[in-house]
Amino acid sequence: MIKLLRCELLKMRHKYIFLTLLAITAAGLVFSLYGDYSGEFIQKNGWCMMLYQLPLANGIFFPIACLVISSRLADTEHKASSYKQLFTLEKRGRIYDAKLMTGLSMTLLSVLIYWSVLLVFGKIIRFYGEPPMELYLRYLACTAAATAVLYILQHGISMLFKNQAVSFFTGAIGTFIGVFSMFLPQLPLLRQLIPWGFYGALQFMGLYGWTSEERYANAYLKIMSVDPAVYVIIAVYIILFYALGKYLFCRKET
Amino acid sequence: MKETVTTTMLTKEYGGIECVSHLNMNVKEGRIYGFLGPNGAGKSTTLKMLLGLVRPTDGEITIFGKRLTSKNRLEILRSTGSLIESPSYYGHLTARENLKIYQTILGVPEKNIDEVLKIVRLDRQGKKKTSAYSLGMKQRLGLASALLSFPKLLILDEPTNGLDPAGIQEMRDLICSLPKEYGMTVIVSSHILSEIDQMADDIGIIAAGRMKYQGELSRLHEIDRNKSLEEIFLDLTGKDVSL
Ligand SMILES: Nc1ncnc2c1ncn2[C@@H]1O[C@H](COP(=O)(O)OP(=O)(O)OP(=O)(O)O)[C@@H](O)[C@H]1O
Ligand SMILES: [Mg+2]
Repeated sequence: MIKLLRCELLKMRHKYIFLTLLAITAAGLVFSLYGDYSGEFIQKNGWCMMLYQLPLANGIFFPIACLVISSRLADTEHKASSYKQLFTLEKRGRIYDAKLMTGLSMTLLSVLIYWSVLLVFGKIIRFYGEPPMELYLRYLACTAAATAVLYILQHGISMLFKNQAVSFFTGAIGTFIGVFSMFLPQLPLLRQLIPWGFYGALQFMGLYGWTSEERYANAYLKIMSVDPAVYVIIAVYIILFYALGKYLFCRKET
Repeated sequence: MKETVTTTMLTKEYGGIECVSHLNMNVKEGRIYGFLGPNGAGKSTTLKMLLGLVRPTDGEITIFGKRLTSKNRLEILRSTGSLIESPSYYGHLTARENLKIYQTILGVPEKNIDEVLKIVRLDRQGKKKTSAYSLGMKQRLGLASALLSFPKLLILDEPTNGLDPAGIQEMRDLICSLPKEYGMTVIVSSHILSEIDQMADDIGIIAAGRMKYQGELSRLHEIDRNKSLEEIFLDLTGKDVSL
């Protein structure tokens, strides 16, 4: 396995894949953090307010990161038509796993970078008080879990279909529906069932009492309950996507 | 003489149509086996089945005296090198970086890279990316990857594809030298008899998935003394059968 991971690194030379990932993360950060932080309510509740607002941006940028990275990594093989060579040298399942590990760890690293920048940013902008670390760790875990599901799914699609348009359109349409689902609170099943909706489904910070006339006058933030079924669904999806993708990849004829 | 590869009743169906049908193939150790057939005859499909890239619908494959199963496949293939259809190469890497990947997986000494690059005469390409290679150079790189572990069995599917006349001659000389120099057994496919007849010891002629002739090349004359080899080949494979 170490050998295969080393090969993945060799293949990534001159491909700027990690740089692409950092660029997407940076764009995500700009999109997430750009705004007006002057209001009293926001200054006071800054840390929690971020937790309320971020899932939307996460639901756009991390799916894109999963899509781009998995597709770039798999396309390297498709372009090289290297499967017919690699399959005679190494177990197919291992090839699948090595690539998954490479891409997934890079993507999760970018989640961690994103999260760390959030904390630093909050300090710089001087939100009131210390960041509620427990909530922030929970947020990190939720974002990482949602991203992992998507990466495993996108990895499977990118590896199985030579034409990367398949992977691209799945990702793009999924992301669109996922973002859409966050604006439809009356339809919780949508975001609980489609993998792109998990960023919304796992959101635990709610804003109440906000109206367009009074704005933040009577507003308050409160922790919402998350349907425990969501955790089960995520775990099932992770196992399902991984097992199915690997099974089909191992049966693939070249 | 020992047999390196044998297939018995090897069959592959695609959508109910037998593209390779009840094929019995015998490749003897240390010989060059020319695998001949017109377009769509099933050459690539057969070779892919030997390498486990395509699952046979029916039949058995034995390589190095062991029956090929999904369990021992990789172990057997470790002593096999292959170049199927177009060569595999990572266009954004140099020839050396490409070979480094296969060398790492195979766990063979690093000096093999220099050695095979010299054999295929790509040793002076330096930092040039393989995407900038000409067709023939890519083909040479594919051959280098196949040779990298100096395998006991080498499977080459139309290796002269895209080579210039000098390159074809060179490839021929190279293939001819492999059994003597490294003790390799070589299977080389082609659809042109004249390309094979100067290097193969044995040949198998396949048409529409069926083996039409198998045996020593020199025996092929005996089918009809009045006809040239080329004519016999065309008679066997059928001139105007549509694909
Ligand atoms: N994946 C596939 N699905 C369906 N049919 C296939 C597939 N691969 C090959 N075939 C069919 O199998 C037959 C044999 O194909 P194959 O590639 O083995 O021919 P070949 O002898 O290598 O020909 P060529 O000299 O043109 O390379 C063809 O009729 C082809 O259409
Ligand atoms: Mg072919």
